[in-house]
Amino acid sequence: MKRASLRPVLAIVVAAVVAGAIITGLLPGYWTYLATAVLISAVALQGIGLVAGRTGMIALCQMSFAGVGAWTVGFLNVGGAPGGLAVWIVIGGLAAVPFGVAIGLPALRLRGINLAIVTLGFATAFDAILATITFPGQTRFISVARPAMFDGDGGYFVFALLFYVALAVALEFLARTRLGAIWLAVRHSERAAAAHGISIPRAKLSAFAISAFIAGISGGLLAGYLGTLVADNFSMMQSLVLFAVSTMTGAQFAEGALIGGILAVAFPEILRRLDLGQDIGNLLFAIGATQALSAGEAMSETLRRKVRGFRGARPAAPHPGVAIAPPAPPPRHQGVALATRELGVRYGTVVALHGVDLTVPEGAVVGLIGPNGAGKSTLIDAVAGFLHAYSGSVELGGRAVDGQPAHVRARNGVRRTWQTTRIAPELTVGDYLRLAGGDLPEEQVGAILSWIDCPHPDTPVASVDAGTRRLLDVAGVVAARPKVVLLDEPAAGQSYDETLKLGRRIAEIPNLFGCAVLLVEHDMDLVRAACSEITVLDFGRVIAAGPPAVVLEDPRVRKAYLGIEEGSAAA
Amino acid sequence: MNALLTSVVAGLTGGGAYGLLGVCAVFTYRLVAVVNFTAAAIGTTGTFVLVMLYEAGAPLWLAMACGLVAGTVAGIAIGLVMTAWFAESSASTKAAVTVALLVGIVAIGLRLTGGQHPHHFPDLFPGSAMRLAGVELTFSSLLTIGLGVVFTVLAETFLTRTRMGLHLRALSERPMAAELIGVPVRRLAVLVWGITGAVTTFSLMIIAPQRSPDFASLSLLVVPALAAALIGLFRSFWITLVGGIMIGVVEGTMSVFPGLSQYRGAVPFLIILAVLLWLQRGARWDEAR
Repeated sequence: MKRASLRPVLAIVVAAVVAGAIITGLLPGYWTYLATAVLISAVALQGIGLVAGRTGMIALCQMSFAGVGAWTVGFLNVGGAPGGLAVWIVIGGLAAVPFGVAIGLPALRLRGINLAIVTLGFATAFDAILATITFPGQTRFISVARPAMFDGDGGYFVFALLFYVALAVALEFLARTRLGAIWLAVRHSERAAAAHGISIPRAKLSAFAISAFIAGISGGLLAGYLGTLVADNFSMMQSLVLFAVSTMTGAQFAEGALIGGILAVAFPEILRRLDLGQDIGNLLFAIGATQALSAGEAMSETLRRKVRGFRGARPAAPHPGVAIAPPAPPPRHQGVALATRELGVRYGTVVALHGVDLTVPEGAVVGLIGPNGAGKSTLIDAVAGFLHAYSGSVELGGRAVDGQPAHVRARNGVRRTWQTTRIAPELTVGDYLRLAGGDLPEEQVGAILSWIDCPHPDTPVASVDAGTRRLLDVAGVVAARPKVVLLDEPAAGQSYDETLKLGRRIAEIPNLFGCAVLLVEHDMDLVRAACSEITVLDFGRVIAAGPPAVVLEDPRVRKAYLGIEEGSAAA
Repeated sequence: MNALLTSVVAGLTGGGAYGLLGVCAVFTYRLVAVVNFTAAAIGTTGTFVLVMLYEAGAPLWLAMACGLVAGTVAGIAIGLVMTAWFAESSASTKAAVTVALLVGIVAIGLRLTGGQHPHHFPDLFPGSAMRLAGVELTFSSLLTIGLGVVFTVLAETFLTRTRMGLHLRALSERPMAAELIGVPVRRLAVLVWGITGAVTTFSLMIIAPQRSPDFASLSLLVVPALAAALIGLFRSFWITLVGGIMIGVVEGTMSVFPGLSQYRGAVPFLIILAVLLWLQRGARWDEAR
């Protein structure tokens, strides 16, 4: 763990100690009581922030998970289970996890909207069930026992604060792991994440299960706070309001969750004192959430951007030139890295690819060219596993991969880039390289970045220009050292000089990284600079293949590109 | 046996309304690409206008007309928000927006209708239409199912047979591209929102007397509606309609058994889970991302 990444954790702990001392030491009891409610809401918001804010899913049953946690705590309390409240709360959190998995498993492989529908359905079902079974001890007025140390308003505030800080620190660490980067990548583009070998369902399910755990904890805390509970504390409307608040404040960050907690407690309190209806607060959350969605930025994100601007962003100076050479390549075998056999793709009545045989030998850079609509990108989609169906076969290193989904193919040795860059802007350059290439040592990250002229690893991707992001795409796929990389028009949007330089870099890929390259490109100078062989597609068929000098002089190729016979072009 | 049949038939009114709401959800999704969580809340708004006017002494037909207009206006208002600010957003952002709007509508609704304060909902179409094998078929159930069939046929014909339907389908796929080739995108989208607003309001008016009569509970009838739409995969109007009726019938059947009847509210969830598990057979990618 780097020193830089410890700073936010330290900030959370220091802020918590200071705020805790002020609130317990100086404020009157009722304020401490309210502050505890703020913390419990903030814990619940951290849970939903992980799913909604960080991973980009709509989850509408967080308070039901909280209800599961609270019910468990009530049950253990009535049964007099050993361990006391702190242990019960953790057990309550764990009890919510199987529910999260059971709901998430069927929903997460399909369209994102399904999760919204199934979670809202679960919230309704849970309302009906909870109203019938009631909380343990509710009818006999058995209150949840607090630990002697943390009894009283001040004591329980400290108790809740400990949970909030522990979760905030744990989430901050988690956000910095590869899993944290995976969540952001999934939120930004599921396809691009799968192309890096990430299993989308597993990534989503892990976020959903952890958020259910946190929600369960918040329910347990609420049980200890209120003593006795009623079903209304966990109703479906509460879950919807929680979603709106987290969308508005950006609860994926500790400060966003805290702001949300403050608003969720302060609005009803202020409205109550003004003798206005407390439900008006929900209207404000609805407006705030809609505003955040239309701006594409929640409160905590705005705050972070402003603070960064104030501190002055670190200069994105390029890494010093030839600092470290990338490590030696793995041994190369003479063989075929990628082959397609009779590859055919149809969209309805349109035939996009027609019996394409293409071979990329190991250690080679093969160019795939052809006019627009020739089927180049379709071929990449088919090879990388992003098409529902194709005929024929795709072989990686001599082994057919046809039944495999995209992320499995990526792990088995085929990586691709996209025509438009799909890097999550919240990551840093180094994060992205580790996301794409696995857990690379620090020097390798620096070496690969300087090899292709990308900025320092700590630079946020958001501050990197579009052209450089395309280079970063290339750096990402080669860092994984697959059998073959598929580059889809990497030079689009680059200047002439940059293009030539990129061509030289691409030509170096087989020697430096041990991968073969299939390069789709329109820029003939780049193709000439990088490729040892060229295949030409036109209307889904291979019309020529061979060394660049021969293929580019072929009259059929010229006709396909220019649309006319050479003789008439001169006329 | 007869008791069971009676409850099954009793579930038909709810089922018809679910089916109709579900068909509206599919209509909205196919035409303006929004999974609309506010649908039932829009209908509830119109229904409460009817109730409040009726309680104030207005004749039923007038109250009903005003309610339908209010529901249409509410639908259009939501539609304007969606088209003005979120026309080019992703499907999941649009859904998130409607969830946020639902929270806001319910807050306003509860405020204006006095929260849990009981209201008297007039039965719009009282009485029994016919007796079948000793069981009463109510006007309400026949009406919702009949309307469901009519709306399904109209929607299907409109989308596949008319030029405007073609335009609207283009609109949902790529609003910007549709606008560039001269489709009056905004006006058509608002039209869709208005129509679904009116139809949902009508189905809510019929089903409201059987439900707990507060604004929040009625707004959450969007859950069985979306469950029905999911059964139809947000594509097929007919399967959605049948799915909605089925949900109502299962709920009705459960109410016969004393131990089960409290858990009626869990039916849509279980059906959603079953449908999703069944769909697991093939993973598919989220829309073009």
